[in-house]
Amino acid sequence: MAQQANHALPSGFQLDEYHIEHQLSLGGFSIVYLATDKNGQFVAIKEYLPNSLALRGEGEIKPVITEEHLPAFRYGMKCFFEEGRALARLSHPNVVRVLNFFRANDTVYMVMEYEHGRTLQEFIQRNRAVITENFMRNVFTRLLNGLREVHSHKLLHLDIKPSNIYMRNDYTPVLIDFGAARQTLATDTPMLKPMYTPGFASPEHYQQRELLGPWSDLYSIGASMYACLAAAAPQSADSRGEKDRLTPAMVRWEGRYSDQLLETIDWCLCMDHLQRPQSAFSLQKALIEEVRTLPPAPLPVKKTWLEHVVGKLRGKAEAK
Amino acid sequence: MKFTIYQESRIGRRSNNEDRLAHCYSRDALLMVVADGMGGHYYGEIAAQIAVQTLVEHFQREAKPTVADPLAFLNKAMISAHCSILDYVDDHNLKDSPRTTCVACLIQDNVAHWAHAGDSRLYLLRGGRVLAQTRDHSRVQLLIDRGEITEAQAATHPDRNKVYSCLGGPQLPEIELSRKLPLEAGDVIVLCTDGLWGVTPATTLAHAYRNNNPVKITPMLLDQNDRLAGPNADNFSLVVARWEDSYVGEEEAESNSTSTQTMPLDTITTRLDEFGRNPKYKTELTEDEIERAIEEIRSTIQKYSK
Repeated sequence: MAQQANHALPSGFQLDEYHIEHQLSLGGFSIVYLATDKNGQFVAIKEYLPNSLALRGEGEIKPVITEEHLPAFRYGMKCFFEEGRALARLSHPNVVRVLNFFRANDTVYMVMEYEHGRTLQEFIQRNRAVITENFMRNVFTRLLNGLREVHSHKLLHLDIKPSNIYMRNDYTPVLIDFGAARQTLATDTPMLKPMYTPGFASPEHYQQRELLGPWSDLYSIGASMYACLAAAAPQSADSRGEKDRLTPAMVRWEGRYSDQLLETIDWCLCMDHLQRPQSAFSLQKALIEEVRTLPPAPLPVKKTWLEHVVGKLRGKAEAK
Repeated sequence: MKFTIYQESRIGRRSNNEDRLAHCYSRDALLMVVADGMGGHYYGEIAAQIAVQTLVEHFQREAKPTVADPLAFLNKAMISAHCSILDYVDDHNLKDSPRTTCVACLIQDNVAHWAHAGDSRLYLLRGGRVLAQTRDHSRVQLLIDRGEITEAQAATHPDRNKVYSCLGGPQLPEIELSRKLPLEAGDVIVLCTDGLWGVTPATTLAHAYRNNNPVKITPMLLDQNDRLAGPNADNFSLVVARWEDSYVGEEEAESNSTSTQTMPLDTITTRLDEFGRNPKYKTELTEDEIERAIEEIRSTIQKYSK
C-alpha cells in the first residue's frame, strides 16, 4: 500500500525564529526545509514527521497524531533526540553542524548549517567525468576525517551512502543525516525498524547487529566509493551472503584507476568484518598512500545513446 | 552446586523502574546483583543498568569456573562499575552524574561473600531467622548507630533516603565487604532494594522463606509488599537464592532448583534484562522528558560551539 505523503509547511511560514523558504527533501521520517534565520543566513531545518504515524494535510500546520500512534510517535522522537545528541557534540568541518533544536507544532525541529552544494549522489550522476583517481582520494580522505571524529565519540553513523554525503561547491564533503546513528552502548527496542540502505549497509546490519562497529561504517564507505565508479549501488550485503555476484572493483575497473585504490575499495567491501580496515584511520592511510606508478587516465566514457538512457534509468531505479 | 533462584522487579506506583537485577552462574560460582538507580538524578536507571552489567561482565570474564579472590573480585568489579558510570557521564556531557546503590553476593566453594554501597540490602536467613545483614550506608543508619533515633523513627525520618555511599557519585564509593560466611543447606540469601525492605520486615522474609520454595512464595510476598506500600510505592525488587545440599539426589530435590553439576567448565548462564527490552520499561516520553532532552541538546550545542 502506498503511504500517504505529508504536506510540507508552506513557503514563507514563520517557524520559531526561522523563515521557511522551501522544502529541500522529504523522507519517511522527516522533512528538510531551507530556511533563513533572523540574520538572513540560510539554514536547513529537519522536521520530525514520520509519515506512518503523523499526518499533515494540505494547508495544515499541526500534524494529526492519533491516540493509537502517540506512543510510537514519541518513541521515534526519542530516536530523533539521539540524532540531535549525537550531532550536538560534533564540531568538525566534515560533519554537519547542528545549530539549534526546538519544539513547535506538536513535534520537534533540528536546525543545521546549510551550505551550497549537492549530495554526492546527485554529483556522481551529473559529473561522471570528474570521478578521477584524485577526486576519489581527496573526497574520501576528507570524509574520513569527519568519520574519525564521529567514531572518536563512540558513535556510529550506520547509514553512510552517497545521498548522505554532501558536497560543498569547493568539493569538500560533509557527512549528513545521522538519523540512524547510535551510541554504541545503547541497545534499541525493535519498535521501529533499524534504518539502513540496501547496497550500502554492511552484512552486520542485516544479521548480527551486535557485531556493528567502525568496520560497518567502513563497509558503507567502500560501497559508496564503488557506487561513485559504477554510478549505481553495489549488490546488497544480504543478497551477497546468499550468492556473491559483486564484481570486485579490481576486476571491473582494472587499468582505469590505480590497483591500490581498487584494492582498497575491495578491502572495505569484504563480507567478513574482520577482513576490512578496522578503523577510519587505517583506511585513510591507505587512501593517502603514494602510488608509485601513475594511473592511466580514465578512458573517456563512450556510450551509445541507448546505453546512456538505460544507464540513467538504472541509476534512478537503484537510487530509490 | 545446587540452588533455587528467583528474581523479580516491580515498578510500584512510579512512572519508571530504576531498579536493576541480575544473577549469573558458572559450574562452581554464583553471582547475584541488585542496583537501585537514584531518583532525583537524571538517568538513575542507566546508572543501575551499567552497574549490574559491569558486574556481570566481570563475572563472565573471570569465573573460570571460580574467581581467584571473591572479595577482591567484588571490590574491583564495583569500582569498575563506578568508573563506567563516570565514563558515561563524560561521553554524554551530563550535568549531573547518575548514581546507583549496589549490593552483590558471590558464592563459591560453599562460602558466601558480599559487598555493598548504599542502602540496598542483603539478608542471610537461616532457620527462620536473620543470621546476617548489610548495614545501610545511610544518614538514618548513622543516627541509629549513635542512638539518636530508633528504628521506628528512622522509617519516617525525612532523611531516610539519603545515602552517603553509592556508585557514580563525585566521590569514590565506600564499598563495604563482608566476611566469608560458610553456607548450610537451606540457607536463603536475599538481595533487595529499599522499596522492599522499607515495607516488608526482615522477620517476615525469614519466616516466609523458612519452609517455602522461593519461586512460589516470592510473587506472593511481592503482591503483599505492593498492597502495603500504598499509593506512593517505590520500585521494589529482589533476587533470592536458597542454597541446597549438593548431594541430594534428583528425586529428593525440589523442583525449580538449579544444579550446575553437569555444566561445562567454561559456560556461564546469565539472567539480566537487557536495557530497553524489559517489557515494563517505558518507551514513551513524557512532556517533561521531551523538555529535558531538548534542554540537554541545546546546552550541548552551546558547549561545543566555536
